[in-house]
Amino acid sequence: MFDRRLFRPGGPVPQREREWPSFRGAINEAMREEMRRDPAVFQMGEDIAGASPFGVTARLVTEFGTERVRDTPCSEVAVVGAAVGAAMGGMRPIVEFQFGDFLSVAIDQLTHQAAMLRYLTGGQVKVPIVIRLPCGGGQGAGSQHSQSLYSWFAHAPGIKVALPATSMDAKGLMKSAIRDDNPVLFFEHKALYRTRWPAPAEFRDPNHVIPFGRAAVRRIGDDLTVVATLTMVHHALAAAEALAKEGVSVEVIDPRTLVPLDTETIIQSVRKTGRLLAVDEAYLTCGIQGEVIALVTEHAFQALKVAPRRLGNPGVPVPFAPPLEDAVLPDQERITSAIRDMVSA
Amino acid sequence: MNVAMHLGLLRTMLLIRRLETAWADAYFQEEIGGIPPALSTGQEAVSAGACAALEPGDYVFTTHRGQAPQVARGLDPKRIMAELYCRRTGYNKGKSYHVTDVTRGVIGMGGIVAGQVPVAGGMALAQKLGRSDRVSMAFFGDGASNEGAVHETANLAAMWTLPLILLCENNGYCVTQPVAVAVKAVSIADRAAGYGLPAAVVDGNDPLVVYDAVAAAVARARAGGGATLIEAKTVRLGGHLAHDPQSYRSKEELAAAWEQCPIKRMRERLLAEGLLTAEGYARMEAAVEGEVAAAVEFARQSPFPEPREAFDDLWA
Repeated sequence: MFDRRLFRPGGPVPQREREWPSFRGAINEAMREEMRRDPAVFQMGEDIAGASPFGVTARLVTEFGTERVRDTPCSEVAVVGAAVGAAMGGMRPIVEFQFGDFLSVAIDQLTHQAAMLRYLTGGQVKVPIVIRLPCGGGQGAGSQHSQSLYSWFAHAPGIKVALPATSMDAKGLMKSAIRDDNPVLFFEHKALYRTRWPAPAEFRDPNHVIPFGRAAVRRIGDDLTVVATLTMVHHALAAAEALAKEGVSVEVIDPRTLVPLDTETIIQSVRKTGRLLAVDEAYLTCGIQGEVIALVTEHAFQALKVAPRRLGNPGVPVPFAPPLEDAVLPDQERITSAIRDMVSA
Repeated sequence: MNVAMHLGLLRTMLLIRRLETAWADAYFQEEIGGIPPALSTGQEAVSAGACAALEPGDYVFTTHRGQAPQVARGLDPKRIMAELYCRRTGYNKGKSYHVTDVTRGVIGMGGIVAGQVPVAGGMALAQKLGRSDRVSMAFFGDGASNEGAVHETANLAAMWTLPLILLCENNGYCVTQPVAVAVKAVSIADRAAGYGLPAAVVDGNDPLVVYDAVAAAVARARAGGGATLIEAKTVRLGGHLAHDPQSYRSKEELAAAWEQCPIKRMRERLLAEGLLTAEGYARMEAAVEGEVAAAVEFARQSPFPEPREAFDDLWA
């Protein structure tokens, strides 16, 4: 079985993975390249210069100094506000939160100020900010350090939401995020930080970006479409691999950005397979899984052979103890089981 | 003594008062609807004095009571009024009560109390990072002074030596709550010591006193000396919003507050000093009335936005 603990830190890097870029290293490289390219790009966050918590900003201060890699106090409201004002003043700030859950503290500055000021001023200002948000469960980090809260923010007009699942996407999407003239939330699943993924040659190209709003079809299949994000992409791929041996052909789609969402690729896939399973660590109620299902149901109802299904946190805080955490978060086993039910229905 | 400046301050205050009176009239006559006007009646000296100390390239971030700094920074009364009439010729194309003109450094905010203060800190950070000597000024009220956003921003401004002026307009009331109920410090400015910032409490009904305090703070910020908190003590004569009868205040209290009317005080002072004649004041009033009447007429004649424009300007 594919275990979410495989993502947990520790242990040597396997020989075959040594040449692959790490997920956190990819984000670091994207930021470094963009800071070299554009002097308006700068960073703010707690301990990002001193001792960056997950190592994502490692060594940036050595190259760019403390003016552009600024340690902040524990003041989420003032720091997000500082990003908004600096962006209106022509800068391109990147803000790191040590845990994405903490963005709840600064929700007004994000959803009312960053996201609305362009609209409210009739287009007079732009607010190009990137907020980096470590997210997700599986590390025993506890309920207020383990959530996947992008549904909250995808709900608010004026905010783009990126969800990278591989090193290549982490780098390419981060570069797009920094170059975007709108507020972007960049969710980084903590379990992915130390993972390494094979990347094509263009990974090294500083001009290569991955545009927002274009889903990746991670695996092609005919019987069922799984839409999954972040680590759930990898759980779904493992499930698809196992089910192939049973003769079930699963297509796995990774939207990569929730806002904008590549509805076309998802709908086309479901027109082909007739079955849809949406998987995410997000809470199910008003979650992104329901949004994907609603879009498909509105646009391709006639193509559906069985009722769409969704997997996610059913609506309890992500628990602290690993056995409890496993009880509420989706995984390969639950995905496999749901797919079996749906194709045999 | 700069006679032109003194007369200019009086004229600015008069224009604020008359423009807002016309706005309130439009509301009471049901020519416009929606949220009632938030009037700066009694507080005109704060914006007039403070904005006179600024230069092009400096920014102000306004509160919900934002028309005073808009006028004081020289925005076109026609386009202010058009915005308040929800017309597409308004500065924000009918998208907000909080008038913004980036070209004149006025960012209209205030839908969320104190939300503008952290953003002003960010603009000050951009000004510092850009190696300019420009400054940002955040208006906020006595009510907002109890918000975490103000405390965090004051602390961050001290830590980063930001070219920021935190201008608290203490008008005595947070909607119906007297300031002293929720502020247990000697003054709001007294809290500045806790952030390591210099501060001043000034008579907010005297534009010259406000000007002097803000000019000193601006000079310090331009020279790299960082942020200052200024508390301008003023009076709120028009209620929280225009429809507020202020039944929670005594007649005596309101009458005493009207005695502090900054326009009355400045006019009487300039008359006494011989810098203004009764005829000169009448001419100033007539000119202001003409400007306001033209603004109202422009707003009335302007079209509403097209429904499809609701979908414009969300994304850059």
